[in-house]
Amino acid sequence: MKYNPVTEEILAELREIVGDKNVMTDEEKIEAYSHDEIPAEQYAHMPEVVLTPNTAEEIAAVMKLANRELIPVTPSGARSGLSGGAIPEHGGIVISVENMDEVVEIDYDNLMMVLEPGVITNNVNEMLEESGLFFAGYPMSVETCYLGGNIAENAGGGKAVKYGVTGRYVMGLEVVTPTGEIVQLGGKRVKDVTGYDLKQLIVGSEGTLGIVTKAIIKLLPKPTQRVGLLALFKDEATAISTVPKIMTEGRIIPTSIEFMDKLSVKTSCEYLNEHLPYQEAGAMLLIEVDGNKEDIVNADSETIGELCLDNDAIEVYVADNHTTRERIWSVRRNIAEAFKVVSPHQSLEDIVVPTANIPKLMPYLDDISEKYEIKVPCYGHAGDGNLHATLVKNPDHSMEEWFEIEEEALADLYQATKELGGTLSGEHGIGSKRKKYMEMMMSPAELNLMRGIKKAFDPNNIMNPGKIFDLE
Amino acid sequence: MNIVIPIKQVPETSNVKMDEETGTMKRDGVESIINPLDLYAIETGIQLKEEYGGKITVITMGPPSADKALKEAIAMGCDDGILLSGREFAGSDTWATSYALAEAIKEIEDVDLILAGERATDGDTGQVGPGIASWLDLTLSTYTSKVVDVNLIDEEVDYTTVKQDSIIVERMVEDGYEKLELPLPALLTVVKEISFPRLPTLRGKQRSRKVEIPQWNLENLDMNKEFLGLQGSPTRVVNIDHPKVTRGGTILDVREDGNVEEAVSQLIDYLKAKELV
Repeated sequence: MKYNPVTEEILAELREIVGDKNVMTDEEKIEAYSHDEIPAEQYAHMPEVVLTPNTAEEIAAVMKLANRELIPVTPSGARSGLSGGAIPEHGGIVISVENMDEVVEIDYDNLMMVLEPGVITNNVNEMLEESGLFFAGYPMSVETCYLGGNIAENAGGGKAVKYGVTGRYVMGLEVVTPTGEIVQLGGKRVKDVTGYDLKQLIVGSEGTLGIVTKAIIKLLPKPTQRVGLLALFKDEATAISTVPKIMTEGRIIPTSIEFMDKLSVKTSCEYLNEHLPYQEAGAMLLIEVDGNKEDIVNADSETIGELCLDNDAIEVYVADNHTTRERIWSVRRNIAEAFKVVSPHQSLEDIVVPTANIPKLMPYLDDISEKYEIKVPCYGHAGDGNLHATLVKNPDHSMEEWFEIEEEALADLYQATKELGGTLSGEHGIGSKRKKYMEMMMSPAELNLMRGIKKAFDPNNIMNPGKIFDLE
Repeated sequence: MNIVIPIKQVPETSNVKMDEETGTMKRDGVESIINPLDLYAIETGIQLKEEYGGKITVITMGPPSADKALKEAIAMGCDDGILLSGREFAGSDTWATSYALAEAIKEIEDVDLILAGERATDGDTGQVGPGIASWLDLTLSTYTSKVVDVNLIDEEVDYTTVKQDSIIVERMVEDGYEKLELPLPALLTVVKEISFPRLPTLRGKQRSRKVEIPQWNLENLDMNKEFLGLQGSPTRVVNIDHPKVTRGGTILDVREDGNVEEAVSQLIDYLKAKELV
């Protein structure tokens, strides 16, 4: 597909639609929209113009213009993504929803909230604090990411074991389609089988099927009690083998079960100057339970703690107040940041396997580490099988060597994942980063169905082109 | 070596909301935690116990719910807890608080060392630790950053010598540190540099649930009632005031159809007038 450049005439028209001050062409300013949180520069691409519209109608008008002129449009949120989803692969127009950050309504009677896509996810819960309600989405980038991005990527995060992922809480969406129509999908209805569930098709579509301009999300009563456990194990196998037992023998569904291997723990603790006895530990589990009765939550945490000790945990720490909980969670949350200090060149992966197969994956990671002489730390959401195995460049390798190694090692990693019944991405998405591995994971028939859907939504292929799969 | 650690339960302050009218903190629904700076005293105490044996008693003054802070300290590795709780203590300032704590500590046998945090994160005075030392007439080292050594004299030695149990510490002062040797019993207030607090363990939590925490007050302690609570407190809070921000800034905003050239020349004029360029 050949796209047309954004000319002065088109810029004038765009200024007419969204207003002068919502059109950015200054290179210094639009550079920020050329990348997301992937550190590698080869995925970045500059837009020609960045728009910060205020309404769905403005976005619809831009889409109509883009269709007429065949200019690619890429939606953009907080750009905390990790798959290149918000990067304007083919230049053109970036539509940032940063100005659309209004809370339209908090509907206490229906336990729902209507929000614009530019609201920061963490702020949703801050606004709800006094209401006793909360939004259960909890991506690790909760303090920076936007709700719109969470919906586009179907963000998961640290509480998915108990609460599931973003999609579970999306009740309705207002979407501007690639052809410039404004559609209302779903609504404040708990049950709805009236036709295809298009809103769930938008969830996780990575900005390729439309731009969310309003979302109705479901809220839950907020648990008042939380207890975190940090369990140190001698090796990865003993840690991981404890995970299913928490649910089967302990009969408890925790809020979170996070796994960290030795290298992840060590790197993060050194980065944080945390003095936990991590040297002794070959792996750690961070488990959290929540509820409303202190006694019950304490009893649950004790059951899980005992189970860990029965499974040869070296030590189990208990964090039942804000200070200690923050302390154990910061070890987990800072792993990615800590590795950026070690090496800025890395490939943060997002594979997901059936939970019971996590231990079987570990030897494959060791093999990859040995074969390519790179570090492969692994951490993530053990409770749902979603692991952030990361390939970290060996400082002794040249960049050319690294690019070759990265590609081959990723192919090895995905092959192993596939053999274990897993797939490419659990929550980060395919974007541009993992596109070339889609054919390895999916049948041609399946890919063709997806292509058909894309064509039905976006006949001119102008909405976030170059993502997830190629049309041809 | 027997150690006493006075601690304070304070509101968790990461997300404090203020009452605009009264200027005080909204305490409703705010979680209470051990004063974070007291954790360093607790850790130091546990390390000393691990090396020299003995036991650690944590003590706090507060409402009955403050036993949660004592239990947390026991879960970290302390042995016993004492809760000073009663209406007579309500409204105590640092003078009355240190008096009451000192009187309670007198009841604990064979105390070798008292360890306190540098200050509490809510009151921020740093007075209660030194106050206790003063009431008990103990040697004191504030801002202690390191325990260098402990000299415990074998009980079999000849008591005609002047030798006495002592602790050697370093304390931070503005331009470095001082090294002191204090005869025991002594009181140290400690700073963050001294240790890195451990986390409570599951076994510790289980033990702490079983520990009975006695509640002490005027009914079972012989104290001068005149020295307690609001009436015993010389400090009076007369008024709470917000400091006024005296530096008002000027923003030359050019985002809304402003003229950049004009704003820049305004800025230059301003800097020239202030003789900054």
